[in-house]
Amino acid sequence: MDRPEHLDDVTGAREAGGEAVRQALAGSGEVQDAATQSGLPLRPVYTPADIAGLDYLRDLGFPGEFPFTRGTRAAGYRTKEWTRRQVIGLGTAEETNERLRYMISQGQAGFSVCGMGYANYDSDSEHALGFVGRGGVWIDTLADMETLLEGIDMRTVTINQIGYSIPILAMILAVAERRGIAWAELRGTTQNCVQPGGEGPARHGNGAVDILEFCTREMPLWNSASISVRNTRDQGCTAPQEVAFGCFQGAYTLAAGVARGLDAGRLAGRISFFLSAENDFLEEVAKYRAMRRLWARLVRERFAVTDPRACMLRFHVQTSAINLTRQQPLNNVVRATLHALAAVLGGAQSMSVNSFDEVLATPTRAAATLSLRTQQILAHESGVTKVVDPLGGSYCVEALTGQLEEAARTLLAELEALPERDAFRRMEETTRDEAYRRQRAIDRGEIKVVGVNCFADAAEDDEGAPHIEVQRYDPTWRDKQIERLAAARRRCDPARAAAASARLHAAYRARENIVPPMIEAVTASLSIGEIARIREAALGEPFQPTTWNFGR
Amino acid sequence: MRVVLVQDSTGHSTGYYVVARALREAGFEVILGGVLLPAGIVRLAADEGADAIGYRIMDGSPVILVGRLREEMTRQGVGDIPIAVGGIVPDEELPRLRALGVAAVFRPGATFDEIARGLGALARPPSSGRP
Repeated sequence: MDRPEHLDDVTGAREAGGEAVRQALAGSGEVQDAATQSGLPLRPVYTPADIAGLDYLRDLGFPGEFPFTRGTRAAGYRTKEWTRRQVIGLGTAEETNERLRYMISQGQAGFSVCGMGYANYDSDSEHALGFVGRGGVWIDTLADMETLLEGIDMRTVTINQIGYSIPILAMILAVAERRGIAWAELRGTTQNCVQPGGEGPARHGNGAVDILEFCTREMPLWNSASISVRNTRDQGCTAPQEVAFGCFQGAYTLAAGVARGLDAGRLAGRISFFLSAENDFLEEVAKYRAMRRLWARLVRERFAVTDPRACMLRFHVQTSAINLTRQQPLNNVVRATLHALAAVLGGAQSMSVNSFDEVLATPTRAAATLSLRTQQILAHESGVTKVVDPLGGSYCVEALTGQLEEAARTLLAELEALPERDAFRRMEETTRDEAYRRQRAIDRGEIKVVGVNCFADAAEDDEGAPHIEVQRYDPTWRDKQIERLAAARRRCDPARAAAASARLHAAYRARENIVPPMIEAVTASLSIGEIARIREAALGEPFQPTTWNFGR
Repeated sequence: MRVVLVQDSTGHSTGYYVVARALREAGFEVILGGVLLPAGIVRLAADEGADAIGYRIMDGSPVILVGRLREEMTRQGVGDIPIAVGGIVPDEELPRLRALGVAAVFRPGATFDEIARGLGALARPPSSGRP
């Protein structure tokens, strides 16, 4: 990137300077070869010689221009800040709605609710005993979705559907319809990702592809697939793996949509990503930049997409939870702030900052508000939003961005050389292997965790240690939810429910796009459990209780 | 020592598999039961002749789930198999779990060694001497 003759001077000088660094390290007993958290080699000092191969216009360009290494918007956060979109979900729809409205009154701009339709049974099932309202909100019927969205303007908030339960998507659409809001006006995202399965090249019967097809045709402002690698990362995989797995799943999803007959450019413009923000600050900033470059090139080269906007990698970040500790939980506030800062410097489009108490329970209202305030302090006080990609051009960050892209590209090629089911299995196995290695390294003290394997002395109560009030789970939530379900069943028109049920059954058997009959089914008040039984009857599948009921 | 490992929910189960691997490497025989209702857990533990049950609980209520498990164990006549719980357990629930006869609780921050030693200590007399 520098003038060639100058670069020679720098390279020469680096040799001399490098010797000084080596001696300093040797004298202090420090290791010579440091590495990032993911194991990428790190130099002690970076110079222009480390990015000699970088071509500014080709590899970086300007923010808002291909390959978007420096960001997707020309003026970055100056024209549009990231969306504050804290994850919320507890109790019944009533408790979650109350929390949502409070958070919106405090500056939250997005609806992001977890727990929606994760299980394939209803609250009155024996499988639900001990679960209702703990791992997110519990939803049985459309009446719950109406309560959940009560008092929330579906035209102004962006709606993030966590997981890709098709009955839940149908409920969101049904509530909009009842309010007279056209689906085409809705802005939001379904955390969708195509997995192997379905019949023929068009994968008929694959619900994830049905979502792509339906949203692409009916909802031009809706992201039909937010590829989630955040949770994979948060289970232990490395930064290059997060990038590679995301690009693999993104490309796989895009290819599945194209095989269904969707336009690659239109679909690509509505694929977004869900990423983590981890401890190694510089590596994380480089990760976001590397992934933007890799994804943009992949979409253009492989899918012949010409509209640069469709090549943009847009992403939501939920900060890491794996790094939050039960011990000395207030330390988590500091960790989450650093994670969030990395996401901001990496150019995230929206964010959820994990609360310091998430390792203890679902966050309290106070802890969730503190997470929102963390975002607001970064946006309004830190000053980092005034310049786009402020770390761009740093010898170190550019070198790391290149290393990340290269490592991810290699992993991506390995995955794509495998049969598709093996590739998905490989991602899972790799993540488990990395998680195992990481825990071993923590146990040995090779990875330092402050408050856990070092500096473990916590302040005592009489030393002014703050008292942490943990969210209480109300044991009556399940009774209340069962009563809500019973009330919905009493109001249900049996003839209409029977017709919707028959129509849904037939659609499953015919491998039709399942979203339109699902909208009829939820509108007729069929519950999540009833819908799952219809599917099983239609496809001859046995009932397997799951809390991962997605794409169905 | 034979340990039946089960979990309360389907998602986010990397930790479950990682702990299983660590236990195998520490010399345990590990039987993965996956997600089961308490009646199913007890049947599996009885069929496998388990020396201990390891119950990963992340989403559900530890007190409710372990309470149901205890009832089933008594009903099926295998009330003496020790139970260890791993996962998100609030401080205030620890005494209630102990009262339900839970022999060990492993929470975030537990090391592989602590889990292996804790489970190893639960071995009943016939299997003592083995890890």
